[in-house]
Amino acid sequence: MKKKWLALLGAVTALALLAGCGAKKANSELVLYTWEGMFPPEVLEGFTARTGTKIVYSNFDYDETMLEKLSQAKGGDYDVVIADDYIIEQAVNAGLVSEIDKSVVTNYANINPRYQGQFYDPEDKYTVPYGCGIPLIVYDPAAVDFPIKGYNDLWNSALKDSVAITANYRVINGITLLSMGRSMNEEDLGVIAQAGEKLLRLAPNIRLIQDDNTQDALLNGEASVAFLYTSQVTQVMAENPDLKVVYPEEGLGFGIMAAFVPVNAPNKQAANEFLKYLLEPEISKACFEYIGYVNTTGAADGIVDPALVAPESAGSGEFIMNVSAEAEEAYNRNWAAFKAACGQ
Amino acid sequence: MKPRQRRERWWLCVAPLYLFTLLFVLGPVLYMIAVSFAQNTAGTGFRWAFTLENFAKMRDGVYLNCFRESLRLALSTTLLNVLIGYPFGYFMGRLGARGKRLMLFLVMVPFWTSSLIRLYGWLIILQAKGLLNNVLLALGLIREPLKILYTYPAVLTGMVYGLLPFMILAVYTSVEKMDWTLVEAARDLGATPARAFLTITLRLTLPGLMSGVILTFVPSMGLFFIADLLGGNKIVLVGSLIQDQMTRGGNQPFAAALALVLAVMTTLLLALYRRATHMSELEGML
Amino acid sequence: MKRKRFSFAAFYLALVTLITYLPIAVVVVFSFNDSKLPVAWKGFTWRWYETLLRDAALMEALRNSVVLGLVSCAFAAVVGTLGAIGMARVHYRSKGMMEYLSTVPIMLPEIILGMVFMAFFSLLRLPFGWPTLILAHTSFCIPYVYLMVKARLVGIDKSIEEAARDLGATPARAFFDITLPLILPAVASGCILSFAMSFDDVVISIFVNGPTLSTLPIKVYTQMRTGVTPEINALCTILLAAVVLAQALSAALRRGALRREESNDKGERV
Repeated sequence: MKKKWLALLGAVTALALLAGCGAKKANSELVLYTWEGMFPPEVLEGFTARTGTKIVYSNFDYDETMLEKLSQAKGGDYDVVIADDYIIEQAVNAGLVSEIDKSVVTNYANINPRYQGQFYDPEDKYTVPYGCGIPLIVYDPAAVDFPIKGYNDLWNSALKDSVAITANYRVINGITLLSMGRSMNEEDLGVIAQAGEKLLRLAPNIRLIQDDNTQDALLNGEASVAFLYTSQVTQVMAENPDLKVVYPEEGLGFGIMAAFVPVNAPNKQAANEFLKYLLEPEISKACFEYIGYVNTTGAADGIVDPALVAPESAGSGEFIMNVSAEAEEAYNRNWAAFKAACGQ
Repeated sequence: MKPRQRRERWWLCVAPLYLFTLLFVLGPVLYMIAVSFAQNTAGTGFRWAFTLENFAKMRDGVYLNCFRESLRLALSTTLLNVLIGYPFGYFMGRLGARGKRLMLFLVMVPFWTSSLIRLYGWLIILQAKGLLNNVLLALGLIREPLKILYTYPAVLTGMVYGLLPFMILAVYTSVEKMDWTLVEAARDLGATPARAFLTITLRLTLPGLMSGVILTFVPSMGLFFIADLLGGNKIVLVGSLIQDQMTRGGNQPFAAALALVLAVMTTLLLALYRRATHMSELEGML
Repeated sequence: MKRKRFSFAAFYLALVTLITYLPIAVVVVFSFNDSKLPVAWKGFTWRWYETLLRDAALMEALRNSVVLGLVSCAFAAVVGTLGAIGMARVHYRSKGMMEYLSTVPIMLPEIILGMVFMAFFSLLRLPFGWPTLILAHTSFCIPYVYLMVKARLVGIDKSIEEAARDLGATPARAFFDITLPLILPAVASGCILSFAMSFDDVVISIFVNGPTLSTLPIKVYTQMRTGVTPEINALCTILLAAVVLAQALSAALRRGALRREESNDKGERV
């Protein structure tokens, strides 16, 4: 009798495992892996309506999380990934990215050439850009009684406990370096250590460190100054036009997000079709107006909200690039120390 | 039908437990211990070369501070839970049958709602333009909204709140099955209520208090997301550090070393606590 | 004197309960608020309930959570109950160690378990998704069932089962007729507890979930970082109503059963 029990247990286990594996239906699914809120639902639904391929919208919080998951999956599991420039370079170097099938993506030329040939994909083999932006400072003039001109103003003691910042450690290290007149990609460990010390002095002013919806802190009164990504700037200005946007005088950061197909993507055909779909002017317009990043599909420049067409100055900002392992470690340490100081 | 034969069949019963435990508890733990001595390589992988550098790295003030913060938060959470939860469980156990049923129901309902959602409720209450500030402003007690969210007290509130039901239920169970005639006897023999409580009630309910402490202390050593959400990512606990290293930082050996130290710390503290209270069994959980 | 103490107890119980329910009440109230932001009351609406029912992703996450909870709790019930019964009777040298090891999953902070499982499962090359989630959840459900049943077994006289065996019952029969009914309440509470823990788990799930799978807590966690939609409030309100209903129903059933038992007893006596 007990043997029967065991057999039953075994059978149930096997069934459950089978059910788990069998749940993936071949070819009718496309796993899209990116941040939350990067697509208007109707764009995803439109693709399903047109091709019959169901889109599974899967999210990560940070670029690095994506890279970790993707390498755990040996470049499989996901069909289309959208992430930041510097992490794509790492993914390409790790052999996790497959070349784009330009016989499927026949409208590849719709991309604005200005955003092509970048460091992460110099020969335009692997990526389709999906928006770009410059992180900026936004503040509430009603709550701040001096004009903010640049990063250094964030250190002003009048802003005690009222600054919200995004949570990318490289970006925050980067603007600290910019405020010292250095490069965002500094590799000199001594200079990075100085930046770390300067960051510690910013700690008393920090109210909130958060990557998503940081702009809400300005709207619900938690913070009076915020350092935000472009999409967040667009959103917060739409909600409250009285806020002021600052292009920091010390220099700008710049970033491109791009889509790529992992090397072992289960459904490469659909993935390439999806990239083609994204490059259609009407679809690009819908996407960029939804996420609020600068339009990278040149063919859509004429129809998209003019505020999302890059001014000539764009591109003069500095990319966050990959640095040596020692510098990387030093940046990580700065960040941990900074966060701990904020909590004191 | 010899008794001997009978006994021998029981291995079939324990076999699944043995198998599962060896494969999916001992296996992963041993693997973690092994990884914690491996060498991190650039990118996401690691190399099997024995090194102590992962542990040496923890001597850095930044990381030591994470351990200190985690311990401080876990201890204050547990202490507050004892202070709030013990009287609650005690009073609850002294109610009549109807009252007990009602209170049990009231304690269990939040238990079934998502703890994250309840946390979100606190977020709404504590925010600058939230309920608490509005009430305080309306009462004229404050003139400017208080900055409560993203502070240490906010995190502590969330932690205590999330774990309180465990303490209450554990204490309640042991109060419920207590033999009250002993207390009556002590009172009849002239003991003051305080003395009767300390010598009899507290002793008899110690198992419940003890499992309550374990059930709140253990999770609170690792519950980092409450600190992240209510603390605005400003309080770095070992939990967030491990998650960071595991996902963002791509340094599995360091994550494993951190986890190992955290596990040893938790186990040692529990062992100390057990020794101090002369208890070895977890009981009265529901 | 006695009266006064009692009223303090009642006051204390009421106060703490009230505070406990405050955040829940807030969530429920804002599920009917005609605004996306939970800041001010903008009027009554059902619209979040309507969008919730149409939100396929959220409904799927809910379904996944229920399935995951049920499956892991079923596995844990079998392994944990058999284990507890067997452990009470075997005398291996490894017993003490095994007993400790099998409860390790609830004696370590969740984050450690999540991290360890993520590394180990990727070593075994298990596909991340259902298999990993079920294994991980089963591992922390087993201790709850095991400890519950074990505590119950301590209170049961072993001689009853032995008597049944001596009277010629097969081991299976003795188990199903005697032991199982006696420990069933403990198995049930172990299951309920482990289902609740599984249904609410976020830390471990985040580490071991797969690319296409999402449980309700994972969904809520992501939303809490990116902006909660009032749909989540609506979902929580519905779940809350379901729990209250289920509790009330089970209480009513129990009362009914109790009454039936009483009348049965009377019948026998007559």
